[in-house]
This record gives sequence, C-alpha cells and structure tokens, in this order.
Amino acid sequence: MAAILAPDDLVAPTPGALMRRRALRHAGLLIGAGVLAAVILMAFAAPLIAPHDPYAQDLGRRLIPPIWHDTGNWSHPLGTDMLGRDYLSRLIYGSRISLLIGFAVMLVSGLIGAALGIAAGYFGGRVDLAVTYLITVRLALPVILVALAVVALVGSSLWLIILVLGLLRWDRFAVVMRSATMQVRGLDYVQAARAIGCSTPRIVAGEILPNVANALVVVATLEMAGAILLEAALSFLGLGVQPPLPSWGLMISEAKSYMFFSAWLITLPGGALFALVLAINLLGDGVRDVTEPEGRN
Amino acid sequence: MTAGRVVLAIAITLALAGTVQAGKRDDTLRWASNQVPESLDAYFNNVRIGVIIAHHLWDQLIYRDPKTGQYKPLLATAWKWTGPKSLELELRKGVRFHNGEAFDADDVVYTLNFVSNPANKAVTQQNVNWIEKAEKIDAHKVRILLRKPFPAALEYLAGPIPMYPNEYYAKAGPKGMSDKPVGTGPYRVTEHQPGRLVRFERNKDYFKESPRAQPTIGKLELRLIPDQNTQAAELMAKGLDWIFNVPPDQAKQLRAVRDLSVVAGETMRVVWLAMATREGTPTPVLKDIRVRKAINHAINREAMLKTVVGESARVIYTLCFPLQFGCTDEGAPRYAYDPAKAKALLAEAGHPNGLDIDLYAYRERQQTEAMIGYLRAAGIRANLRYMQYAAMRDALREGKAGFAHQTWGSFSVNDVSAMMPVFFKFQADDVNRDEKVRDLLDAGDTSVNPNVRRSAYKHALTIMAEQAYVAPLYSLPVYYAHSKELEFRPYADEIPRFWETRWK
Amino acid sequence: MLAYAAKRALLAALVALTVSLACFFLVHLSTDIAVAMAGEGARAEDIDFIRKQYGFDRPLGVQYAEWLGRAVRGDFGDSLYFRIPVAKIVWQRLPVTATLGGYAILIALGLSIPLGVLAAMRPNSWLDRLALAIAVVGQAMPSFWFALLLMLLFGVTLGWLPISGSDTQAHFVLPAIALAYYAAPAIMRLTRSGMLEVLGSDYIRTARAKGLRPMAVLFKHALRNAVIPVVALAAVQLGFMLGGSVVIETVFALNGLGYLAWEAILHNDFPMVQAIVLLIALIYIVLTFLADLANGWLDPRIRIA
Repeated sequence: MAAILAPDDLVAPTPGALMRRRALRHAGLLIGAGVLAAVILMAFAAPLIAPHDPYAQDLGRRLIPPIWHDTGNWSHPLGTDMLGRDYLSRLIYGSRISLLIGFAVMLVSGLIGAALGIAAGYFGGRVDLAVTYLITVRLALPVILVALAVVALVGSSLWLIILVLGLLRWDRFAVVMRSATMQVRGLDYVQAARAIGCSTPRIVAGEILPNVANALVVVATLEMAGAILLEAALSFLGLGVQPPLPSWGLMISEAKSYMFFSAWLITLPGGALFALVLAINLLGDGVRDVTEPEGRN
Repeated sequence: MTAGRVVLAIAITLALAGTVQAGKRDDTLRWASNQVPESLDAYFNNVRIGVIIAHHLWDQLIYRDPKTGQYKPLLATAWKWTGPKSLELELRKGVRFHNGEAFDADDVVYTLNFVSNPANKAVTQQNVNWIEKAEKIDAHKVRILLRKPFPAALEYLAGPIPMYPNEYYAKAGPKGMSDKPVGTGPYRVTEHQPGRLVRFERNKDYFKESPRAQPTIGKLELRLIPDQNTQAAELMAKGLDWIFNVPPDQAKQLRAVRDLSVVAGETMRVVWLAMATREGTPTPVLKDIRVRKAINHAINREAMLKTVVGESARVIYTLCFPLQFGCTDEGAPRYAYDPAKAKALLAEAGHPNGLDIDLYAYRERQQTEAMIGYLRAAGIRANLRYMQYAAMRDALREGKAGFAHQTWGSFSVNDVSAMMPVFFKFQADDVNRDEKVRDLLDAGDTSVNPNVRRSAYKHALTIMAEQAYVAPLYSLPVYYAHSKELEFRPYADEIPRFWETRWK
Repeated sequence: MLAYAAKRALLAALVALTVSLACFFLVHLSTDIAVAMAGEGARAEDIDFIRKQYGFDRPLGVQYAEWLGRAVRGDFGDSLYFRIPVAKIVWQRLPVTATLGGYAILIALGLSIPLGVLAAMRPNSWLDRLALAIAVVGQAMPSFWFALLLMLLFGVTLGWLPISGSDTQAHFVLPAIALAYYAAPAIMRLTRSGMLEVLGSDYIRTARAKGLRPMAVLFKHALRNAVIPVVALAAVQLGFMLGGSVVIETVFALNGLGYLAWEAILHNDFPMVQAIVLLIALIYIVLTFLADLANGWLDPRIRIA
C-alpha cells in the first residue's frame, strides 16, 4: 500500500498525528462519532430536554400523530402513543435504556471475552486449548433460544437481560483478543519484558493491552450494536425490557400492531434505533480503518 | 440484461404460484389462531382454540341456546334429577359418529367414566371431578352419579363435556383422538398437523334434529399464525377469511378497509387486580384495607374500557360476569375513579410518599401498562413482572406474588360456581382466605335451591366488595375481523360457530 | 490429515457432550416442570401426581444420564405439550427450517460474493463504498421490522408473494431474504478482504505479468483462493441462522424449528426445548467440523498448527 506522500507529509509525522489526520478525513467515523455523541448527550440531558414526563399517561389524548400530520399539534411534537404518553419524551428517555443495554452488555461480555482471549493468546498451550474449547461450546449454543429460555423461566427484567446477553455474547471478544494477543506476544519488546522478569499482570497491563486496544474497540462497537438489536428482538417476542420502561426496542415492538395504519409509531423509534446502531457500526469501522489502514475486513 | 430477465421471470412465476385466494370460490373458510391446542382431544387441552375446535367436532348431551340461555336436547333428549346426586338422561337414537359407530349409552358411560377418573389425567379436573360415575340403564338411558350435590352440572354437561365413541376411544386413546378425532359434530377433521394446521370438512350426515344449525360451508382450514400482525396482513391480502383477538385499535383501523367487516363481542372473561391478604402474603401492605381501597379508586375503568379494552365490554363492580347465574353487584359498594381519594387513603395508611410493589401479569400487557400508569398517578409505583400464566399462578400460589392483573374465563360456564370458588374457597388460588366468604360460597355451590344459591352468592360478593379484596375492573371483549363475504355472528362465550356461519 | 481429522472429531464430540449438559441443566435448574404441566385450575395433588409419574422427584444426575442415554438413540421422550414423541415433531419441522436456512445462505452468498469481489477490484471506489454502506445499513435494522416491511410491500401492497406459511417454495422467498440480509454483510466483508489480500499477492502479480486477461486472473486464480474462508464462514453462518430464525419464523408463521422452540419455551415444554437446542448445536458442530476439514484439506498449514 504505497501511499503518495503530500509535500507537508515530508516532515516525518508521528504515528499518532497520522492517525489523527486519517480520523479527521474519515467521513464514516466522524458521522458515527457525532451521532453517538448526540445520543449520549440526549441520554444525559433527558430530564432537561424532554417536554413531558415519559410515564404520564392520558387515555383521553392517545394516538395523536406527529406535527407533520394534519391533526398533529405542538404540545406533542412527535405525537402520543397508545396510552397517551408523549412520544418525544419517551424517545428521549428511551435513549438511556438502549444505550445502557448496549454499554452494559458490551462491558460484561467484553470483560469475560477479553480475559479469556488474552489468557489464551498469552499463555498458549493448555490454557489456549481450554479457551478454544469454551469458545466452541459457546458458539454451538444458539444465543437467542438460550436467552429466551432463561428470560422466560426466570422472569424478565432489565438487569437480567443485560446479564444474560453479557454472559452469552463474549465469543467474538475472546476470538479477536486471542489472535491479537498471539501476534503481540511474539513481538520483541514483550519478549524483552519477559526476559527481564516482569510479572505477568504487568506485562498484560503494560504491553499487551495497549497493543490490542484498537481491536478491542472495534469488537466492542460491534457487540454494543448487536446487543441493542438483540434486545429489540427479545422485546418483539415479549421477553425484552418490561413496560412501562421506554426502551427503543420495546417501543418498536409495542407499536407493531399499528404499523399498517399509524406507521409513525414504529418508524420513529425504529429510525432512532437504526441511526444509533448505524452510528456505532460506522464508528467501529472508522476506528479499524484509522488504526489499521491496510486492511478493512 | 439477461440476469434482469431471469429475475423478472422468477418473480412472475412466484407471483402466480404464491397467490392463495381465500374464501367463497373454493368453499373453504380460512382462519387463524395464535395458539395451538396441545391436543385436539377436548379433555387434554386447556386453551381457547381447543374449546372452539371441540364444539365443531363433537356434541354434548345438552345444548344451551346462546341467545336465550335455555337448555335444549342435544345428544340427550330428556333429563331429570332423581336425587341431589343423581341425574338420569334419555339419549337420542339414530345419531352416528364420523366413523359410522352408532351413538348409545355405552359411549356416554365410557366417556364420562374415562375422563372423570383422575388416573387418566384429564387436564382440567374441575370440569369433570364432580362426576362420581356413569351407569348404563339401557341402550339409550344413562344415570350420572355425583360426588356431592352440584347444581351447575347441567351447565358443564352443555359445555366442556363432549361425547366420544367408546369403541374408537378405547382403542385410540387421547393420542389417537388427537391425531384423528372422531365425533358426531357438524364438522370432521380431514387433516391434523400438530402445531401447524387443521383441516375440517362439513359432516353431511349431521343429525337433522340437532338444535344447532346445519353446516353450510364445505371446508374449514385453521392455521397457526403466531404473530397477530401477520394475521392482519393475511386478512388484508385475502389469504385468510376470518381472524379473532384483534387488538381494539387495529380493529378500529381494519374497519376502514374495504372488503372487511369487524365485529366485537363481549366475553365471559373478567379482569381484576388480585391482592393477597392471607397469612404470609409477600405484600403485607395489601393487608391494610385502605391500601386496597386506594387501588380500587386509582383506576379509571371507564376510560380504559373506551380505549385500550374496547367498547363492547362492560365495567364490573363484583368478581363475576354479570350474566352468570348468581352474579350481582346489588348492595356491593362501588369504588369510583378518584385519584385524590386514593392518595388520601394511602397517606392515611402511612404511605404519604406512595409505595413500591411488584405487579404480576400474563396477558393484555397494554392494559397492564395502563393500570400501571393509573397506579403511578395515585402514588403506587408498580413494577411489572410479565410472565406465562403457569408461572404467574405458581408465584401466587406459593406466596411469591401478591399483586396481579388476573383474568378468568370461567370455561364459558354460565354459573358463578365456575369462578368464585376457584379464588375464594381456600383452594390453591385463594390468596385472601376469608372464612365467611368460603362458607357462603359453600352454601351456594351445594344447594339445589336457586334462591338459596342467589342469596348466598350475593352475600359473599358484598363482603368481598366491602373488604375490597380485589379490584374488579371490566369484562373483556373480543374483536373479530373477517371478509365481507361471510355472515358471522359472535356470542358471549367466545366460541365462533362456523356451523351457522355462511357465505353471503 | 487423518490425525488432524481425528483431533477435530474428538473436540467436536467433547463439545457436543458439554452442550448436552448445558441443555439439560439450563431448563432443569430454573423451573418446576410439574407445576407448569398441570395447567389452569390444577390442584396440589395433581401436581404431586405428575411429579411422581414423570420422575421429576429423582436426583438431577440420574435424570440427566437417563435423558442422554435415550437421546443418543434419538428418543427425546414425549413432548409435555403435544403429548407425542418430541423426535416426531422435530423431524416434521426440521425440513422447514433447513429449507429456509438453505435459501437464505444461497441468497446471502449470491448477493455478497459478487459485491465483495467488485468492492475488492476497485477499493475505495463508489462501488466499494456502496457495498460497505449496504453491509452497515443491513446490520442496523431490527430483523422483525425489516421482515414486516418486506411483508407489507411484497405481500400486502404488491401482492406478489405469499405472506405466511410454508406450503410452496414461494412461501420461503420473503423469509429467506429477511434472514439472508443479516448474514450477507459478514460474508461480503470477508470476501472483500480475502480478495484484496489475494490480489496483492505475488502469484497474482506474476499471473498478470504473464499477460493473462484480468478476468481470467480474477476468476481462475484470485476468487478460488479467496473463497475458501468464505465457504467456511458460510457454514458457520448457516449454523447461526438455524438458531436465529425464531424471529423470522414467528413473523412469517413458518412453523419451523425456531418457532417450535419458542413455543416450547412459552409452554415450558422442556424435553422439546432441550431437543431443539441440542439439535441446532449438533448441526452447528457438524458444520464447523466439515468446514475445519475442508480448510485443512485445502490449506496444509492449518493441519500442522
């Protein structure tokens, strides 16, 4: 990949500066990061920007269409839902739940997967064998069926869903971290650190982690997006987050019987979820492009 | 652009192959359900669709006219009580089962003795466990002996107790009966793919003397379509002729679609909030009558009825369906919608800042959500625990759940003895355990004197309302949407009658 | 090669055993089956009766051993809900899900390999970006919404395709597209990166230098090498599809394994749940085993590693 150097690149820039420059030119990354930042901001500022209480129902004012319909009105810019709750406020508060699910599941599965993957890659041998075996077992179990069975048997709640999805979706972390660690382990400075007798935790924290961090971020974004979508699928089957909590996935699935005639009830949360997942995916792709420009895969 | 042409050709072929036109043209009524009966044997399933199928395949001894509520002869031509625990029935002659077997006393005796024997594990024991045994008097006369006086016996004989052919049933058993059901009813099964589809054909030899209408539609095809939206889509695309349990809002919208009719019918299923007050309840706050009254005052039943429930139903003030024998709300206090009063009652009970409680539910989640909204406005923060019926019932029985959005359909039995005793006679589902109520129900359930029964039930219902043991809410409607080519009439027992449905 | 195959087979068998253990205990530890079976209006005596009748009162280890022993012989007991042998229903439903999965993987491959190749031929062109956009967009929509939209457009509005059921091949078109849509991006990305790598390799440069026509280079040499990992991935994706088709099957009323499993979960029909999860896991294990063998056969380096 022989890049043609622009004149101002002739003064050898640092790798960090190169990366920053690539990042600033990467449209997908910028859009993804921008949208994600906006959603995060919305989640934090929910009480300040939401026009109404997202739980306040008024059966006398239900199914008001959004403002761009003839019968819409400004007191509910995005209309009201089937129980007369302000849809805009529920969308704003819903960002909290969807982000929370994405982040928390990613954190749980990331911790498990990264720990297993790094251990396998770093120690190799029997540890590697055991981890590979665990990964294979995990991959063989159909995630959605197992998640459904557990949630159906134990009873659905936000934290149970996060826990179950987290415990089920660590495989990609483990696979990627394992191979990334294997590559890093062979590098000279890691060998050197070992030779001078650095402790294992110190090598992992000081040498391995920083070098696999990029790969970790890429997987993390994919997993976060995946978890948000999976929760929507669970909601569709009635076993996701429980109402009246406003998760976007739940809003979509509660609106499904309105899709033929009041399509906005499903397109608004659907569009929001779509934008969020798309943004997270774009961010992940962008990070990969910027950190390893030679190989998108 | 050959590829484009291939795609087009494929699309056209598929379009031609794919369009199924439902309806009148091939004399097949296509309908759908979102649940499947675990078995077609009426004694071995406990889902609504199973009851519906059973009414098409089999006949009962007695017929209850859904319009007048009167009992009429069906497979039995006459019956009389020969004692408080003994009922004698004359049987109709000349009726044949779908397989040609003639109907006689042996069929009745075998069916009743088989299903009432607990060892045979009929799923809904309370439908049959009042029967001690059945005896043959002669070829067309039988006697049914009861375990104890049971005034609602005729109601059960007219409902969930269809008659089976003894020779076939002895050989095939419940499994064979599910695979290839054999009855005397207006329709017979031609194909059964478990959990997928059932095909029916008109019974051309259905006995002419039956008080039920002679069937006119040639074939019925029942398909399992789990997602309600898919059912609506199929109906609009004419892949189906008839669907039920349409959500009220969608029903309103489907009304506007050309070629479709939407009808609503009230059902016997009533809805209430159950509040456990018995020893060891997981929700001790509910032991305070002021909290229970506050919950009663918190919910706007009328507003819910007009919106999320549907207008064909009615508000109820006591725990029974108003048309059931023994049901009344006379003399029982009513708790009107009054959030301010609810808040005041809560404060008086020592909860000025409201309280948190788990609310269990298993169906019509949108209604639960509306209840949660109302409770929240009164200061009760209910946390939804939504689960399958069996799991919720289990939690209530074991004292893990104390507050629940309950419903009960009384198995379409038109007598309060199919409803109140289940929840107030110290059986597993009784979460309140009031001795006075129990004794009154006992008196009502076992007397053969209608006036004694009425007054006992009325007294029990009054106590239940005074104590606010439950928050009775409303009866449930069911919405049916169907092709305009069909002439269909709904009844309160939630059983569509395709034998009297016809093409226009 | 034989030693490699034996090693992979041993691993597969071990994984299968572990999965069976997981299937069994997953259900057994979290619910009281007897209560669930008894149904509406059951009394405590009925529940006790069922518990004894079905042997739910014995130690779990004993129940597991017995279950596994019978499962190996293809006997999963009777469905608690349908009261007929689990194996019978499962074999009835498997073809539906297999057909759906087969079509879906064909559609996914048919869409994503050409896109991936085109993208690799012109990296960073508008085509490449479009392919990437399709891949990213495809993964950002909840599957049931996408499925319902397909149904609304092609079934209700245009009336081209049947909406639900599995009577004819046409019934599988919409669900297969909906399912394929989610597998396609991964396959496309892998094709693209594989092609990029191969196209940059020495022997392709040599082939080009020898003056072979670009198309011949592309199809004869590059694609053949790039496609190996793609086939392996497709096998894995097919395994995932079988397990993940529950939502699509529910929307299109396909009555395959996925929906059967979901229904079984709702009815606490645990012999059924166990059998289906185990079956899907086994199919996945066999598919990956075959993919491993194929990879090892095509690429000797893997065998040694």
